[in-house]
Amino acid sequence: MTVNRYTKMAYANADEMVFGRAKFPVKGGLGLEIGAGYAIPELNYAPRPQAGVSKDALVKEYERITKDAMARIVQIGAPAVVLETEHVQQMSNNPSWGAEIAHVQKSILEEYHEEYGVKCGLRHTIGDIREDRDYLALRGSKNDVMLDAFEQCASQGADFLSIESMGGKEVFDYAIVRDDIAGVLFGIGVLGTSDMEFVWQNIASIAKKTGRVAAGDTDCAQANTAMFIAGGLLDKNLAHTTAIVARCIAAARSLAAYESGATGPGKDCGYENTIVKAISGVPITQEGKTSTCAHSDVMGNLTMQCCDMWSNESVEYHGEFGGTTVQVWVESLAYDCSLMNTALKTGNEKVLRDLLMLSDRYRDPQGYVLAYDNAYRVGEAIAKNGNDTYLRSKAAAETCCTILDEGVKSGKLSLTKFELNALAAVQKDLAALPTEKSKFVENCMTKYKAEIPVFKTENYVL
Amino acid sequence: MLDFKKEDIATILVRYNVAMEKTMTPDEAAEQLYPKDKLLKAVAVAIYDGEEDDVIDALDALLDAGKDPLKLIDEALLPGMAVVSALYDEGIIFLPNVMMSADAMLEGIDYCKSKTKEIPQSKGTVICHVAEGDVHDIGKNIVAALLRADGFDVIDLGRDVPVDEVVSKAAEVKPVMVTGTALMTTTMYAFKEVNDKMVEKGLNIPFACGGGAVNQEFVESYSLGVYGEEAAEAAKFANYILKNGANIDNLRDEFHFH
Repeated sequence: MTVNRYTKMAYANADEMVFGRAKFPVKGGLGLEIGAGYAIPELNYAPRPQAGVSKDALVKEYERITKDAMARIVQIGAPAVVLETEHVQQMSNNPSWGAEIAHVQKSILEEYHEEYGVKCGLRHTIGDIREDRDYLALRGSKNDVMLDAFEQCASQGADFLSIESMGGKEVFDYAIVRDDIAGVLFGIGVLGTSDMEFVWQNIASIAKKTGRVAAGDTDCAQANTAMFIAGGLLDKNLAHTTAIVARCIAAARSLAAYESGATGPGKDCGYENTIVKAISGVPITQEGKTSTCAHSDVMGNLTMQCCDMWSNESVEYHGEFGGTTVQVWVESLAYDCSLMNTALKTGNEKVLRDLLMLSDRYRDPQGYVLAYDNAYRVGEAIAKNGNDTYLRSKAAAETCCTILDEGVKSGKLSLTKFELNALAAVQKDLAALPTEKSKFVENCMTKYKAEIPVFKTENYVL
Repeated sequence: MLDFKKEDIATILVRYNVAMEKTMTPDEAAEQLYPKDKLLKAVAVAIYDGEEDDVIDALDALLDAGKDPLKLIDEALLPGMAVVSALYDEGIIFLPNVMMSADAMLEGIDYCKSKTKEIPQSKGTVICHVAEGDVHDIGKNIVAALLRADGFDVIDLGRDVPVDEVVSKAAEVKPVMVTGTALMTTTMYAFKEVNDKMVEKGLNIPFACGGGAVNQEFVESYSLGVYGEEAAEAAKFANYILKNGANIDNLRDEFHFH
């Protein structure tokens, strides 16, 4: 597989982008075409803590989860669904575990597809297990086990293959809690992108070999860490302006999956996905108001604006008044999708898209920049510098800052003094960065090798 | 594209952080908390600024004035860090400021230690770890840094720590508290095993747990568990234990909010 950089936008303008429709739809699973004019619920779940004690217990847990979810889909008349199994570590470290679970789940989906005609599919998100106890170990035997997990799961029924890859996280974790934007850019934009190219060329090969779909990645390990540390409006752990700069850099990184052979659908927790969709045209999953079971964010409606699948992020499997959690949440997702699909069929999709976007547009700087019109602008900055992973990440960060400045000047986006100061500091730091990747990499290698004991440069080929 | 008039936005959402922001700048607030002594203040200012070289320069000035290096830890460095912690608790500064200040203060402690053969007395020891099977350690790193900044010795066992390693280290050093962090539901189950093995060994040590999927209900399901929602609570737990003892019920009464 080769890496083909994006240097042009898939969409001629931001207004072309809507939910349920992608420039390049993806066929997969049992009768599904994602991004082909209808939105699809994508349910995600986690086994109960005690289910991890043995392979049998874990397989049984996922069997219950799958049966419950599919039963509810039929009971409420939903036409399509994707189930996403994010591996717990046992399933990826022992590829046969994940494979058996994929087989059991897929068998249930096939029964529902045959009996009721439900369009459905199974995403398996393999755990990024490429680490030793103290260090990332991105290349070598752990990588081999991970790729084996991909292949076995794909062979046994997983339709869509994903991962939340971790490259660059050791530098990012150090940098983000020190307001070190160069480190954030290096961790996400340079190291993360490089690792994704390595990982995704291999995943794409496996998908081709097994007839499955190399779906997509997310910068969960980094940009979501920033978002979670930033927290709600009153939390005091990280400026939300800094978090959205990290997010925009993450778009330049997550794009690398599609440059390395993936085709979508992108992963739900990649809040950078609207930017990625604008550049690549691949279908994306997103999460927001229906992922409050997993975490809070400050853009619960807005993230739905251009999604092709709509997710709940994750919920622990247990009972609720309305059924088991997977039944409760898949129902919520399905009704949200029903509304989007009604808008699509009646020609009101742009109205609904704008209502979703506008309801959160000024709630927080993160939502402001991710609003589809602004996200498109960040995408343009990335595509314009598409051939240089450093420069495109830097351009994404700079454009993010410009958009925030404009929002403040319009009088509609209100920032705290703290956020304004943090934004000014980021702009100053970005302005001081080198204009050449080689110089930036040299500087960062020297600095972070000295400051971060767990940073092992042999993990990366830059 | 739809948009609001500026005056309509407040009917849809409220930026409470903007509305409630304190008028005093962080620098002004810090100024009110610094020690009065000029030389001690210089240490505090350097810590607040997160400038490691300035901390060393300020310590040198105190050493030149005849101060005992070990006493400087308690009399200059920890009070300087306390200014930062107080500003963080009041919501005037954010976590990255605290982390950079902690780095600077710890550099200062190492410097003071290098100037004497005596061993400083810490407030107490806390063992930190990430659950077995879990490698997500940013939360643990923040917890460890904030505990150190508060004057505790931290034994950082790292991530993906086997249950038996946590228990044997706890048995060996009898810490004020053990902390455990986990991101995933399946890995946090290791906390129960740590708890049960500590109980078996008669180690009645508060076990502060938090992170990603961890919740209060789960932590209360094992006898030594105390749930921490924020990393900054760890130092509060440890200080509470030093002052009031290691009674788990009392800790839960004080710190469990749900």
